[in-house]
Amino acid sequence: MNRRDWMKRTTAAGLSLIANRWQRSMAEAASVNDHFIRLADIPLNKATSLGASFADFHIMQTDSESLFAREQMVQGVVAESTFGCSVRVLVDGAWGFAASDDRSEESLVQLAESAVAIARAQGGWRRRPVEIEILPAFNGRWEQPIEVDPFAVALEEKIGRLLAINQAATGSGATFCSSHLSQVRERKWLANTFGSHIEQSRVRIFPGASVTVTDPRKNEFATRASFSPPRGAGYEYFRDLDCIGDARLAVEQAREKMVAPSVVAGKLDLVIAPSNLWLTIHETVGHPTELDRAMGFEANYAGTSFCTPDKLDTLRYGSEHVTIGADRTALNGLSTIAYDDDGVETAGREFAIIDRGVFRNFQMALGQAAWIGRTSSNGCAYADSFEAFPIQRMPNISLKPGPDPSVTVQDLIAGVEDGIYIEGNNSWSIDQQRYNFQFTGQVFHKIHHGKLVGMYRDVAYQGNSVDFWNACDGLGGEKTYELGGAFNCGKGQPGQAAPVSHGAVPARFRQINVLNTSDEAGNKTVASNGNCNGGKLGQWG
Amino acid sequence: MGLMPVGITPDESKVLCQRVLGLVQADSAEVRVAVAADQHLRSANNDITSNSIANRIAIHLTVSYGQRSASISTNQTSDAALREAVEKVQALARLVPKDPEHLPPVEPADYDEPIMWAEPTAAATPADTIGWMRPVIEQARAARVESAAYLIRRVGATALSNSCGLFVHQPHTSVGFSMTARTLTGNGSGWASTQVTHAHNLDLTRIAEQAIRKAIDSRNPAERPAGRTTVVLESAAVRDLLALLVENLDRRSFDEGRSFLNSLFSNETSLEKPGTDRRDPIGSHLFGDKATLVCDPLCPEAPCGTHDGGLPLVRTPWIEGGVLKAMHVGRFWALKQGIKAQPSPGNIIMPGDGLTLEELISRVEDGVLITRLWYLRMVQPQTLLHTGLTRDGTFAIVHGKLAGPVKNFRFNESPATVLKNMVASGIGQRVLGGENAMPMHVPPLIVKDFNLSSVSDAS
Repeated sequence: MNRRDWMKRTTAAGLSLIANRWQRSMAEAASVNDHFIRLADIPLNKATSLGASFADFHIMQTDSESLFAREQMVQGVVAESTFGCSVRVLVDGAWGFAASDDRSEESLVQLAESAVAIARAQGGWRRRPVEIEILPAFNGRWEQPIEVDPFAVALEEKIGRLLAINQAATGSGATFCSSHLSQVRERKWLANTFGSHIEQSRVRIFPGASVTVTDPRKNEFATRASFSPPRGAGYEYFRDLDCIGDARLAVEQAREKMVAPSVVAGKLDLVIAPSNLWLTIHETVGHPTELDRAMGFEANYAGTSFCTPDKLDTLRYGSEHVTIGADRTALNGLSTIAYDDDGVETAGREFAIIDRGVFRNFQMALGQAAWIGRTSSNGCAYADSFEAFPIQRMPNISLKPGPDPSVTVQDLIAGVEDGIYIEGNNSWSIDQQRYNFQFTGQVFHKIHHGKLVGMYRDVAYQGNSVDFWNACDGLGGEKTYELGGAFNCGKGQPGQAAPVSHGAVPARFRQINVLNTSDEAGNKTVASNGNCNGGKLGQWG
Repeated sequence: MGLMPVGITPDESKVLCQRVLGLVQADSAEVRVAVAADQHLRSANNDITSNSIANRIAIHLTVSYGQRSASISTNQTSDAALREAVEKVQALARLVPKDPEHLPPVEPADYDEPIMWAEPTAAATPADTIGWMRPVIEQARAARVESAAYLIRRVGATALSNSCGLFVHQPHTSVGFSMTARTLTGNGSGWASTQVTHAHNLDLTRIAEQAIRKAIDSRNPAERPAGRTTVVLESAAVRDLLALLVENLDRRSFDEGRSFLNSLFSNETSLEKPGTDRRDPIGSHLFGDKATLVCDPLCPEAPCGTHDGGLPLVRTPWIEGGVLKAMHVGRFWALKQGIKAQPSPGNIIMPGDGLTLEELISRVEDGVLITRLWYLRMVQPQTLLHTGLTRDGTFAIVHGKLAGPVKNFRFNESPATVLKNMVASGIGQRVLGGENAMPMHVPPLIVKDFNLSSVSDAS
């Protein structure tokens, strides 16, 4: 069934039914709003009466909808809802935490008792008590501004759009095309013994597609994923994207990639588009500057960091071109919110992580600022579900545009003799202290004499985080700024997934180590970067 | 708070499934229920950093009208919530286009009784669990290293029921524990882990000893040049690589020409005699002679559930003596191709040669001992090339003996190549994975020509 047939079949009755299908969630949320202060008093008073020096109470409701289409088939329509609450307590310098989907008053008392009991069970053998700063009390309500609520948009509209993307791709010659749309609404209520009562709601949306072209005679295939990142936005974001145009371009680029010469490994200049660079920022600046990680709190999973507190204000993290800032207030930012999950107000707490090349600050949650001699958290706490203990997570972290607003990506490319212009993110990996990274991409344009002259395949770039940012010698102007991001950044044990955005402009990096991934797999490349007769020699393995 | 959520017993679970299915008016339906009572205990810098308990339930319902279907999941179990969920998913299903690949729910079948439940694990209390962790932290303090650890105790059950009359309920318990020890100077790091069904089999002291020993032994690493070399991979590294291979053994991807097996199989069959069926890689010798991987749900060392979406899971060789024996085949694809459906493996068992780690090391003239891998990501799907890094203890091997710590490496290697190049194996063990939760019981391996691509400064 194509999109036109599909649209014909739908009915007005169906439209109205689907538009109302999230009514129960809204009604439940309204019910919490009406009683939250009274409800919160129950576990907070209980925890205090049992000896907690601090307690907070969270309710979280998450609604999501995910659609998956492959060619002209809809292979998944999944709606999900979770609703639950948790109590976190600090007793005798130890944390305790209990969560349940049962929001009855009896359960809230039990949660407080359980949280206090497991905190107290650590008593007597702690080496260092947990200490937290006093936070101001807020009574606030915040709702993310969006134009079109994606949960109110008819299902057939969304499915029709996905099928149209797939049709455009296969109609342009793709062997396969799959597309998806995910949307999430988080509603959070937070009360704590500092006196805060906060209610917040936000929405995020993630459209995407991937095309594949195959050559059965040569047993080869190539893919190209869409460049559309997730956003903290309503349905208007998907509605206004030129997904059809990108699907057609993706097919063209996948075909070209399949027959492109294989790059020859070596040092090359790179111009990296925001659609690729956001992930490099995430891995080489975002994660290394999490203070809990730097202090060893993530040592057993995500690792530690090269970026330790003694390097504050001294480490030359990048060239003078590089300023990377953090905020939870950016328009359409996936991490944007008015109060973090510790109850810290985020407005006015924007901060520079790297200022003109120098490392200036860490990301922090409650109780961490004193570790580096500062007075208060900068609002980076997040819990991904009602049953998750809030931990420090990334705010939106973004590369500031260069000072000249007129600089375009073509200007940056013009300054490269031999190099590669990389678009779209793909494979990524970095060591547990965030030194050694390796990234690939979706499209690798060859640069020769300052111009794009075809494409390479089999490209990965590899380096050291600090060396890489110090090799940056050019940035696009503010008109080239784009917001990328991730829906599910992982951290913690048990693992938690956080949404986060990273803005960037195109940036130029000199003499970066480029790998040939076919060589790495054991297939030797014989082409040079200067010709188009590339190929593979030798057998598998 | 009770540690046994509703749905943990077969009777409770059946009642819940019947409540949901009883509300459904669609042509067919399938409900999955997963319940768990979890305790998470986390430590860093030799102190507990968080201690949490959570009861959870997830009800996942799929309904179909003919070939139109939709799914919903909720953690709300009141009559009103379930009724509304059913109404919502039925409304969605009516509006979804027909899926030509849609199939009716799975028919009931006979399933082996799983062996994933141990009463002492279920009966343990949060206080007991803290009691297990405390000696480990004190061990690290005494050894003057900083430890960070994570212990998860899970008591849960899954149930699957459908409108064809299928009902299967499988309870499970487990305790997983991992610990990283770091020297006070920060340049030595060691990690060790375990996972058990039965709490009585926990030996956290042994795990802590291993992590602490590796941390101390890995201090002040020397730099060894990157390059292809012979490596000894400990079980933790082996399991992460093999999980990536197994999840890509998919028949449909192969038939569609977008699997790593396409080029691998093409290369192999070009060397074989005329008449070889080039459309079916099953039975082809694609890996080294010593490569054998089996799914065995009733393996006591690493048991798993005995069904996958209602299809019985039984002992199945996937690779035997280097010959590909099975690939995942979905129900639709099996029907279309006229072949038998093959559920995904629930666990992976790799029999070893029975050599100790020391014996494996003694067989290497010049190489590297890799104890753990990290951040593995696909680089080239055409060859299944993955990248990643070594961490928490990497050591030089010279003349069959450990010759001191070396700096970590980034590797670029395909797990398919690892199975081609494995030379010898040790004694199987169950360890936790970096990014994959599948129970696996695998030995350490000697692998030749492993591609250590660059040196990492991380320690």
